[in-house]
Amino acid sequence: MSDNERNRVLTEIRRALGRKTTMQPAPLLPFDHGKTERWNEGLVIRFKQVLEATGGKVHEARDAEEVAACIAQICHRAAATEVALSGSSLLQELNLAAQLALRQLSVSAADEFAHRSYEEVIAHLARCDVGVTAVEDALAETGTLSLSSDEQHALLVSLLPPIHIAVLQPHQIKASLAEVLSQLKAERTSRQEPAQSATFITGPSRTGDIELTLSVGVHGPKELHAIILADQHSIGRAASSLDSLNTAPQ
Amino acid sequence: MEITQQTLAQRSHSALQNVTLQLALKRATGRFVELRRKATANLPEWEELRERARQIKEHTLNHLDYYLEQLAERVTALGGKVYWASTGEDVCHYINQLACSRGVKTAVKSKSMATEEVELNQALEAAGVRPVETDLGEYIIQLARERPTHIIAPAIHKTREQIGDLFADKLQVMRTEVVEELTAIAREKLRNEFLSAEMGITGVNFAIAETGTIVLVENEGNIRLSTQLPPLHVALMGIEKVIPRFADLAVFLRLLPRSATGQLMSSYVSFITGPKRLERGRIEPEFHLVIMDNGRTRMLADEKMRESLYCIRCGACLNVCPVYQKIGGQAYGWIYPGPIGAVITPQLQSLQKASELPFASSLCGACKDACPVKINLPDLLLQLRHQVNSTATTTTKLDAQKLGERLAMRAYSVMVRHPKWFAAAGRVMRKLAQILADGGKITHSGVPPLKEWTDYRDFPAPAGKSFRERWQEQNEQ
Repeated sequence: MSDNERNRVLTEIRRALGRKTTMQPAPLLPFDHGKTERWNEGLVIRFKQVLEATGGKVHEARDAEEVAACIAQICHRAAATEVALSGSSLLQELNLAAQLALRQLSVSAADEFAHRSYEEVIAHLARCDVGVTAVEDALAETGTLSLSSDEQHALLVSLLPPIHIAVLQPHQIKASLAEVLSQLKAERTSRQEPAQSATFITGPSRTGDIELTLSVGVHGPKELHAIILADQHSIGRAASSLDSLNTAPQ
Repeated sequence: MEITQQTLAQRSHSALQNVTLQLALKRATGRFVELRRKATANLPEWEELRERARQIKEHTLNHLDYYLEQLAERVTALGGKVYWASTGEDVCHYINQLACSRGVKTAVKSKSMATEEVELNQALEAAGVRPVETDLGEYIIQLARERPTHIIAPAIHKTREQIGDLFADKLQVMRTEVVEELTAIAREKLRNEFLSAEMGITGVNFAIAETGTIVLVENEGNIRLSTQLPPLHVALMGIEKVIPRFADLAVFLRLLPRSATGQLMSSYVSFITGPKRLERGRIEPEFHLVIMDNGRTRMLADEKMRESLYCIRCGACLNVCPVYQKIGGQAYGWIYPGPIGAVITPQLQSLQKASELPFASSLCGACKDACPVKINLPDLLLQLRHQVNSTATTTTKLDAQKLGERLAMRAYSVMVRHPKWFAAAGRVMRKLAQILADGGKITHSGVPPLKEWTDYRDFPAPAGKSFRERWQEQNEQ
């Protein structure tokens, strides 16, 4: 039956195009996406400026201690106590669950609720005040964070609580959309089990649907924070990217 | 949704009388135009991107069968189900059956023009499923049982006071006029719907053939919730939404948010590749992709009209259109307003039902300049006008008028080829005009063809002498 439906629609399309069988298309000529070198001087600076223009907040941290302190401060200011962490290796490496617990926050990490059903995870996260995730990539041109379902529960942790905090490193900030997309494509073509879902996040959830008045936090988080953790922390990169951070205009 | 029976003039007239609407339209279109201008001004490759987007659309439509088959194959390989629908009824029938067989009571919906086109909400309600619109503007419209005014901002015609009344009445909450509080009320009500709905229904902005990924663009987060929370996700796309490769998004994602709302990127872009993979869920997750024709192959078959299918639904042509700016979305009679609505409504519905729409344009060309995929909207409108005129039947009043028009045009064509007749006719017309004029303006002519104009606007009275006469006098002196 479904084959009939398929053939009916495809036959109509072929008829409209004036042919009986499907033709293999010649590939489109390549296109030069980039004049992106204009960000090469300061990807981090650009990222920061654009993300803040959308209403997001950018923080800087040198080490795990500072990341935890920064998260604690955001929670303190919002009177938030329940914090959920996605299952990211970076967050584990920073030992954030323990660091935040030390700061009087009630923390649930993705590996702790791994045994629960999807429905229970959703119900739990809907009650949390703050969600902390890492990112796959970030995009300097638009101040965008790219998150993937490869990072356990990252998409729900970044969506259900009213505050989302993302931890990223300067080397993850890419110059062009084409680069970020080619990474997404690779995750969907080069593996046995492709990544199911990904989300670009650019600023807090927003709407202008009532009298064109900007209102944030309509369905997703009201607050979006990006904590940029200096590269040399875990990867031992040169301090150059941190320097570019420090020269960022305030 | 049936196209309305009132004439365009009746609908426009009531829009022009509506003070709230006039103010809202002026603010909204002005704001969107300015935001778009700013967002495109500092992108030096803007024109190249538009040109590329056009190339991609042209290429894809020329090989639409190939790319749709590739898309369907990928989605199926990922464990998703693909349904091919020839008509809107097919779409509703499929989704209804699916909802009933899975015991769905509530379906959360994110804004989708395609579902409006096939009247999915009415069909779901008839089948005992409660559809809940979750985009804030669409939620307001659904509560008020009205029609959207704008593709991007559906409820701009409503004031915060009206929305306050509506929420207090329908949602049993304390009345408020504060936008943030209204938003918070909607968040709480809809969050509960998201947590309990068994099915999520979305449209599709782009479907990538090479990976079987569907892409959805939004600002509120309701699409993320609709696709992430309920185990069952149904996405509805028109056949023209497919694009060949992930890399092509690097063009469209730079054009769409800038053209729609003047943002560099919308708050959220979701990429969905097959069904969710849950290790522990009570219900097996499912992903259904419905690929719908519903009149689109008619546009595809007509080589002149084919580029109507390039549209990415950004709404930029609405905001710059001098006609839309005055009459708003509802006056266009169906779900697609503005210049693009005037082009696709007659093709998706029928030329007879929407024969007035191609004439609701001054052909100024602002829409063509604003369109991110450079659709030649004025040309398409002219093409449709030609079709309307050449298929008209012979007995209606409209045709008496048309016959008159045709005779007048023929007489004019003879006259302009004879300079003496032309000058004489000019003298007669100027005399007549001066009799009607009062203080340099004709305000109420009462004379039939001119009346149509002077009832709404003043007509400047012509000068006493024509340019040719003055030129001659000057040379004689």
